Amino acid sequence: MRVHTAMTTLALAAVFVAWPAGAQDGDLARGQEVYDRWCASCHGFDGAGEGPAAAYMLPRPRDFTGGLYQIRTTTGGELPTDDDILHVIDEGMPGTTMPGWQDQLSRADRRALVAYLKSFYPGFETFGAPEPVSIGRAGRASEDRLAEGRMFYDSIECWQCHGGLGRGDGSSGPTLEDDWGYPIRAADLTQNWRFSGGGSVEDIYRRILTGMDGTPMPAHADLIDAGFMDEEQLWSVAHYVRSLSPERVPRVREVVRVERREPGEVPSTVHDERWEDVDSFYIPLVAQIIIEPRWFDPSVNTVWVQGIHDGEELALRLSWSDRTRSPDPEWSDFQARVIDVMEPKEGDPVEPGPLPDGITLQFPTNIPDGTERPYFLMGDSRNPVYLWQWRSDQEGVEAATAQGMREIQPLSGRTIDVDAHWEDGLWQVVLRAPFTAEDPRNEVEFEVGRPIPIAFYAWDGDHGEEGTRGSIGSWYFIHLEEETPAAVYVAPLVAGLFTVGLGLFVIARAQRRERLSSEANGHEEVSTTTTA
Amino acid sequence: MRKNLQEPFWQALIVLAISYVLLKWGIPYIPPLIGVSSAPVPQSVLVQFMLTVAVGVLVWVSDNEERWRRFKQPIREALVLPERKRVRVALLVLLPLLVGFVTYDTVRPRVDAPAGIRAVHPAPPTQIDFRGEPVRIEGAENPLREEGRIEEARERGFDIYYQSCMPCHGDYLDGQGHFAHGYSPAPLTLRGGSTIAQLTESYVFWRIAKGGPGLPREGNPWNSAMPAWEDFLTEEDIWAVTLFLYEQAGISPRTWEEH
Repeated sequence: MRVHTAMTTLALAAVFVAWPAGAQDGDLARGQEVYDRWCASCHGFDGAGEGPAAAYMLPRPRDFTGGLYQIRTTTGGELPTDDDILHVIDEGMPGTTMPGWQDQLSRADRRALVAYLKSFYPGFETFGAPEPVSIGRAGRASEDRLAEGRMFYDSIECWQCHGGLGRGDGSSGPTLEDDWGYPIRAADLTQNWRFSGGGSVEDIYRRILTGMDGTPMPAHADLIDAGFMDEEQLWSVAHYVRSLSPERVPRVREVVRVERREPGEVPSTVHDERWEDVDSFYIPLVAQIIIEPRWFDPSVNTVWVQGIHDGEELALRLSWSDRTRSPDPEWSDFQARVIDVMEPKEGDPVEPGPLPDGITLQFPTNIPDGTERPYFLMGDSRNPVYLWQWRSDQEGVEAATAQGMREIQPLSGRTIDVDAHWEDGLWQVVLRAPFTAEDPRNEVEFEVGRPIPIAFYAWDGDHGEEGTRGSIGSWYFIHLEEETPAAVYVAPLVAGLFTVGLGLFVIARAQRRERLSSEANGHEEVSTTTTA
Repeated sequence: MRKNLQEPFWQALIVLAISYVLLKWGIPYIPPLIGVSSAPVPQSVLVQFMLTVAVGVLVWVSDNEERWRRFKQPIREALVLPERKRVRVALLVLLPLLVGFVTYDTVRPRVDAPAGIRAVHPAPPTQIDFRGEPVRIEGAENPLREEGRIEEARERGFDIYYQSCMPCHGDYLDGQGHFAHGYSPAPLTLRGGSTIAQLTESYVFWRIAKGGPGLPREGNPWNSAMPAWEDFLTEEDIWAVTLFLYEQAGISPRTWEEH
């Protein structure tokens, strides 16, 4: 009897769980709870993408009320599948302010969120999402395929926005805006770890094929339908685009190795071929959001650093993607629009106008003995810093000392050679200087074999950046390689030889003992052991 | 092969090898598979653990006369038997090379950043100067909570957090904001038991108001990127965002003990 009741209850429960409408309602209520707590700050309680933090972001958070989704497996202009929406919630959108939630929210909560997001746009009810487009297989990236990909990259005019070498410096750049009228930048194709839909060949293929709705990135499926190119050729474009980024996501290494060369072998120009086999260090930069006026949309997000020294002089080559050689009048309108839409507007307002690009290197005035370093934003009153400031609208480098962002004093000291070059969306700047300070009270003396703190700041003038509005990073170190002491080679040799000697001694002793014991035990036994 | 597995010498070697693999790669990589975070074992600790294992193995093989004899057997054979000459020569070449390599690895010049020691929660002052006004820290509770303005404070804190704090401390308060990767030391998570869960609200108020520049010397001054929020926010704003942190992370603040 009891068993019977239990069975009935179970059956009833099963019906309730399976009842679609009931499940849907539960999902929506739970979805709204999760959404209001974790999503509304940016996407707004009404889903229109205008939450309290939205104006601090560019690109702006997505407006869910129009049913436009960038990252889809469905055809351009169509709605995304539930899995597409879940995928973006799980992985986030790299290179934007959208984080991934896979490890933060339970799967049930993320599923409920999908249901709730869809409820912002009635079209999901009326039209629904089509089936995903099948995309075939990527195949292998051979030299031929990359060449073919490059050819189509040119013929379908990817360079219009993404630039000749993919750094997002195309001629259409200044006119780009999203469907809501906000200025938008074409992706820098040399940084696939910042692709908002993912950096794999398959991800890239889908973005080219189906486009990114709401942005200027069009779908290219029509080129295949029209017979202009076939799917294999589109895969080649995807392989080519993938090949523009490093094989792996670059890793941050805290110490930049400055390689030692023979005296007089320190390059002073950007295109010197001696840079080619020098290790390049990845330094990520982020927005200066610490002192007023803050800036939440940094244009420069990475600097690559290489170094060479000869014991007397050192040279650093800095390379970074920058879409423009500021100030570029073509971009003045874009700059004004960025300045206009970015919040907060605090401190002295930035006036749109010609501003240069720039990079500043910061060293402590004295190499610290302990772990204490000057404040990483241009020092403080107790711990001054020494600066090399380069700007695209001035010859040379201006050295300075600083005791805070607003306390910068120009300095005449050691001679610093500089060579700077901008081409295809890439700035490269070489700075070369002697180790010895002219003004040791204010300038750092470079020393081999000691980690020397260094920090980098960058500005993109055509993005409205100057002063405290720019990209910053915290302290890193440069390490000028020492001449390897002889002991480094002698010690392993001695240790190895000692081990050989010890081994020979142990063997000899064991064999002697064996001989003695066998002599004691009589001759026959020896012959059995040795011939066994 | 199976016969070898019954020999104490090979058993000892296998135990040592398995221990090494588990300590070196098992500890950092296995717990994450079930969602528990882990970290590599430092070299010095690894050496200590391996020594302990080796001593244990030695105690076991020498524990009875017969096993000890069998344990030594393969060693003796390798040292004296004429047909094991190849093994002897190989060991005589490989062991010194290994020793040489380890020596080289120890003495070669390294490029390491100086290790930074961080005082996690430096002692708070009794009172701070907030834009010229004294604010008591020691023994103080969140006035908004005391006045029961919790809902109002939560809403205000929500806006402030997501505008100003989220880029570093993250949407989920887990220290994984989109600008967090640019800073070293990394922005702290506000979740779990190690940060704000151990602190009173007035302590958190102090840290928000004064930021990195206001850290006392034992807090390794100037290495923190935390802004001094008194430059941007009012006293009430900071109390509101403090309350919001606890609400959103789902933890309660520590309270001052009654004296």
